[in-house]
Amino acid sequence: MEFSFIFSQFLSGLTYGVILFLVASGLSLIFGVMNILNFAHATLWLIGAYFSYSFWHLLQDSHFALWVSIPLAALATGAVGWALEVLLIKRIYKRELHEQLLVTYAVALILGDLIKIVWGPTDRLIIRPPVIQQPIHILGAPLDSYFVFVILMGFAVAAGLWWFLTFTKYGHIVKAAVFSREMVGALGIPIPRIFTWVFTLGIFIAGLAGGIQSAIGSVTLGMDISIIIQAFCVVVIGGFGSLLGTLAGALIVGEVFSFAILFWTDGAMVLIFVITAVILIVRPWGLFGTPMRA
Amino acid sequence: MSAKRFLEKYWLPLLLLAAAAALPLLIAEFWIHVFNEILILGLFAVSFNLIFGYMGQLSFGHAAYYSIGAYTTGLLMVKAKWPLLLCLPVSMLTAGAAALILGFFCVRLRGIYFAILTMAFGQLVFFIIFQWYSFTGGDNGLQGIRPPPWLFSTNPYYYFTLAVVTLAMLVLRIITESPFGYTMRAIRDNTERTEFIGINVQKYMVINLVIAGMFAGLAGALWGPFNRSLAPDLTGWQHSGIPVFMAVLGGPHHFLGPMVGSVIYTFLNAFVTGFTEYWPLVSGLVIIWVVLLMPGGLFGVLQTSGRFRAKRETGEKEKAAKRAIYG
Amino acid sequence: MKTKNTILIALAVLLAGCLMGAPSAFAAEPYHLGVALGFTGTGTLYSKDQLEGIQLAVDEINAKGGFLGKHPIKIFQRDTQTKPDVGVREAKDLILRDKVRAIINDYSSAVAIAVKPICREYKTLHLPSISNSENITKVDFSPYTFQLVPNTYMQAKAAALGVAKMAKEKNWKEYVTLASDYEWGRSTQEETVKNLKAAAPDLVVKKEFWPRLGETQFTSFITSIMALKPDFVYPVLASKDNVAFTEQAKPYGFFEKIPYVGSMQSVTELITEAKTVPRGLVAISRAPFFAHLNVPMMAAFVKNYREKYDGKYPSDWAVMGYDAVYALKQGIEKAKDIDTDKVKDAMKGLTVDLTRGKLQFRPIDNQLRCSSYLGVVADDPKYPFPILKDVIEIKGIDSERPEAEILSARAAEKK
Repeated sequence: MEFSFIFSQFLSGLTYGVILFLVASGLSLIFGVMNILNFAHATLWLIGAYFSYSFWHLLQDSHFALWVSIPLAALATGAVGWALEVLLIKRIYKRELHEQLLVTYAVALILGDLIKIVWGPTDRLIIRPPVIQQPIHILGAPLDSYFVFVILMGFAVAAGLWWFLTFTKYGHIVKAAVFSREMVGALGIPIPRIFTWVFTLGIFIAGLAGGIQSAIGSVTLGMDISIIIQAFCVVVIGGFGSLLGTLAGALIVGEVFSFAILFWTDGAMVLIFVITAVILIVRPWGLFGTPMRA
Repeated sequence: MSAKRFLEKYWLPLLLLAAAAALPLLIAEFWIHVFNEILILGLFAVSFNLIFGYMGQLSFGHAAYYSIGAYTTGLLMVKAKWPLLLCLPVSMLTAGAAALILGFFCVRLRGIYFAILTMAFGQLVFFIIFQWYSFTGGDNGLQGIRPPPWLFSTNPYYYFTLAVVTLAMLVLRIITESPFGYTMRAIRDNTERTEFIGINVQKYMVINLVIAGMFAGLAGALWGPFNRSLAPDLTGWQHSGIPVFMAVLGGPHHFLGPMVGSVIYTFLNAFVTGFTEYWPLVSGLVIIWVVLLMPGGLFGVLQTSGRFRAKRETGEKEKAAKRAIYG
Repeated sequence: MKTKNTILIALAVLLAGCLMGAPSAFAAEPYHLGVALGFTGTGTLYSKDQLEGIQLAVDEINAKGGFLGKHPIKIFQRDTQTKPDVGVREAKDLILRDKVRAIINDYSSAVAIAVKPICREYKTLHLPSISNSENITKVDFSPYTFQLVPNTYMQAKAAALGVAKMAKEKNWKEYVTLASDYEWGRSTQEETVKNLKAAAPDLVVKKEFWPRLGETQFTSFITSIMALKPDFVYPVLASKDNVAFTEQAKPYGFFEKIPYVGSMQSVTELITEAKTVPRGLVAISRAPFFAHLNVPMMAAFVKNYREKYDGKYPSDWAVMGYDAVYALKQGIEKAKDIDTDKVKDAMKGLTVDLTRGKLQFRPIDNQLRCSSYLGVVADDPKYPFPILKDVIEIKGIDSERPEAEILSARAAEKK
């Protein structure tokens, strides 16, 4: 097998991994800080993709339509996330696990139907600006030129989150809350407000991921259902609340998908589930998570 | 126990049973089909509640055992031409065996990790059934499942289901009221303390999972012949959500809660889908309403007032911990 | 005398009045038609289109009084959610409560297969008009089920015949299959490979790819296929996945390098992907209206459809929904009765006049012997979307599975 082929498979896996990372990072953050497993996360990602389509559609004639639509979509989705937190999620922090899961699951159902009501069942397709219509070649391997943007955005988000968590005051609070909510509360820091902003941030990233996704293929109903389980696997493998873990988990899942099609084409998803199950049995807090949380 | 005491204690299940038996004389054929569905899904939900209401863990992959039971019966009837009555216990065995294998791993975890592992296992079973298409028919499903002639039409199969489900519920009731059942409650309320008094918690949890799996398998076994066919979406995580919804709706802290939840859910589903395509929206709103405003489900609401008050059981430890953090 | 005459005349008038009033006293019952399709889920668009075709047919027939001029058709619509158990329940509801005599169902083959035995048990006609798995008609036969769509075997064989011809012309040697990993994908791919082998023995399958159903990221497949450099790719992807694949493969210059031959492009995809579908693809279709504009019924249908639905062109699903209602009408006319058992007996082996021409229901499996259509995606000034040009119509008779094979498959399931 030639090097350029293996490298191109690696690049595909990298791209898919980055996309998964973008979807899962918000999920991991929210669970890490607030212990809420947000079943609706992928649906919010899909809303981001639809928002991006709508903004693009409005601005179609401009050269910059796509590049402007993506951050706009992220903002719009972040606003939806903020509203969701303030109106609903706030009420379930004190509730039991099953109640939280049921509520976020219910939100996924409701938002899924709202998407259908607002945007209808037709697939939505964004026509790419000319700059990303042709492939580029890296070391002989072809790569969709848009994916360069995707990979850069993925690492930018990762770097941005890392900088936030390591160097800013709020980032320190968030990291501490992942480790021990009780201590943070005991220090007099207003947990409810932290939660609102963390949730909004997590959904903002999901919206950004959706916007980025909207230029890859078409935006269709049901995309959220196929990706939510994969996002869960990513977060479990990498470890809840760990940025590095989510990145690692996402890249692992992406590369497994990419290379599995070569020797066990229908087995990729099964492999992912087996890996997830093994991690849960052997090391439930994931590769880079915090053992105290388990 | 005197007859009077017996009636006083068991008036509700007796009333429900009498109503269920009288139904075919009172209502139209279509609704008998709906009630048949209610009974099967209700048994599925009651079996789930062994893990959830009585043992305090959330299993998000219970549909795996339901569908293993369903496919066991379906495949035996279609490919090996076995009689239905023989298939039912075999389905319980295969579902129970699966629960034993998967449960062995699940019991090392608790809380959210337990939930996710059960979901992952559920998805694994789904993919196996979906991909092994030469054996199970894959996504086209298994067709040609016919109940024997004496059970073929609506009313006979309904009474058959009623008989099997009633018997199953009796057995489950004996289990939940036995010392084993109280050990489950102890595990739910305070796992650490239960271990300290010398109980092998993991072993008991596995036994409970196996029992829950067996009865889910029985429910699944009843479904195939009723529906005349099977499809892999019986295994998906969305199908696993149904018993959760039913248990929460009816009340997980009462033995009959999930069955009552099944009545409400199935009726609601049949009713709403008759005039709108937005069932997910409606069901999502109902879930939120029940969770936020009716914690403990229907029985929970009834239990805070009136005759059910004495029967209430809950787990207090988690709630106290949460109060400490959030105020 | 006068009294007697008066009474006689009065009786005569009364009798005459009764006879004249009799038709309205015994007002003929309406014909309840069930439409149970997947209005939520992946098939929403196809299902909505089909309902439009059905509605147009029903309106036309009702304008003339309904079936046999006296049974106005009433549509009862249900959403199967593309789920077999929901489909079964909705079918029972339609049959038991709404008392439908026929059900048009479903987008998904799994749902149609689940509904089939229910219709058989309750003696209700069952008319699949979107889904086309061969298993609907080949095995577990129901005399009440009449398939209006070219089934998976017919489409696969038709495609294979067309592709084999191209392969000979272009001297192709190796190919790759890209099939969605579910029953339709698997059985269609299998039948195509078999038929290709029979029609062009020198062709070799270099590798088989099986993306899962609903795959959203095709990158790895795209790069793998391009690295293999086959002479052509034969795709058997679910329509949404096909769209996703073509969109994702375009930026790699995939379609300039490797011929993509045999994907399904129904009119729906041609319209919704008008701006982006690569021209030059060799595609297969189930019921494209433009292939039969010379048939008066089709021309009238297209005209009326566009008038009713704001200038929209009818997709394959609208065509087949319309055909289903008219096939039913002709069955009822032959039986001279709306009684379901009489109609089903009348429809067996019946040749009907449809938008797609004069077609017969094959007696052994009630499969309409309709055509499959192979053509090249290309623009046409008459339409705001690309259509298939150089259409090769492969007739049902030339692409159906031989009867002997069907009989042996049925014998096998009895054992």
